[in-house]
Amino acid sequence: MTRIIQKVLRIFLGLVFLYACWDKILHPDAFALVIYNYQILPAPLIHFTALVLPMLELMLAIGLLFGIWLPGVLLLSNLLLAVFFSALLFNAARGLDIHCGCFSAASDDGVPAATSQYILRDVAFLAVSLFLLLQHYREKRGAVA
Amino acid sequence: MSILNSYTRQMARQGIAILSVSILLALLVNHLRPDGLTLPGDWSDESRVALDSGETLVVSLGEAQELFEAKQAIFLDARPRSAYESGHIRGALSLPWETFDEHFESVMGALQEDMTLIAYCDGESCSLSHDLAKALVEMGFERSRVLINGWSAWRESGLPTSMGEVDGMMPAPGEHRGENRP
Repeated sequence: MTRIIQKVLRIFLGLVFLYACWDKILHPDAFALVIYNYQILPAPLIHFTALVLPMLELMLAIGLLFGIWLPGVLLLSNLLLAVFFSALLFNAARGLDIHCGCFSAASDDGVPAATSQYILRDVAFLAVSLFLLLQHYREKRGAVA
Repeated sequence: MSILNSYTRQMARQGIAILSVSILLALLVNHLRPDGLTLPGDWSDESRVALDSGETLVVSLGEAQELFEAKQAIFLDARPRSAYESGHIRGALSLPWETFDEHFESVMGALQEDMTLIAYCDGESCSLSHDLAKALVEMGFERSRVLINGWSAWRESGLPTSMGEVDGMMPAPGEHRGENRP
């Protein structure tokens, strides 16, 4: 049973990353503006991040969907979601109301939802990712023992 | 313990490999596509003069000139007072960014919030006007704009300028002008 849940969640997280990277890969310039609006990264790193982040999400999506290199994929997906969490929290704490750019590169597609909603959603994904990592490790340990 | 160790090593190795592939692939794809981003990227002009919403505050020299001639905008000089005194856009008010808090009330007190304001300083990379305009927007002056490299652009186009410390609308006498007298 756990196996099935694990697989469903793994594919779900893979689809989330796939969906998240798509628009950003198509519109790197718009995504760069989103990153700029976060006002966290220094200017010279903005374009680099706007290019690498969506590509990393794509790699993680492929890894999760096909179950390739799961230890590395799950480590990075946890780190990435934790970074997103910190960035959202940081800007919420200093009262910067920004478009999160989580699933779209556009910074002006309608009224942005409350930052708290973004944070809760990210925490949910992070929980899934953490669960998958722990389960995968447990499985590996079980196989050896 | 050794399983945890080997699992950790595996995570680290694979993680670094995935990250490296992502970076290489991202740079390669960006290099190949015609509309690729420039690296490291330039955030110094128009794009930097944007509100958090992404809306740019930039006004072009042509627009600024039209507003000037129609007397529909107030120009604000964000440079230090000494720079303002040695030459400024005719009619501009001096509101140096470095003493913004000190002089905001005396300079802006008489102005209505729905007025079009054009902040300027000097040089492509000068951010005094950007900071001033953004601060003014936050204070409620929503029609604040930035004329990038304003002083040089204005002077080089031969548009009207003035010299000296008193010009156009100024704050109430005796406020802060006397102390800056040379």
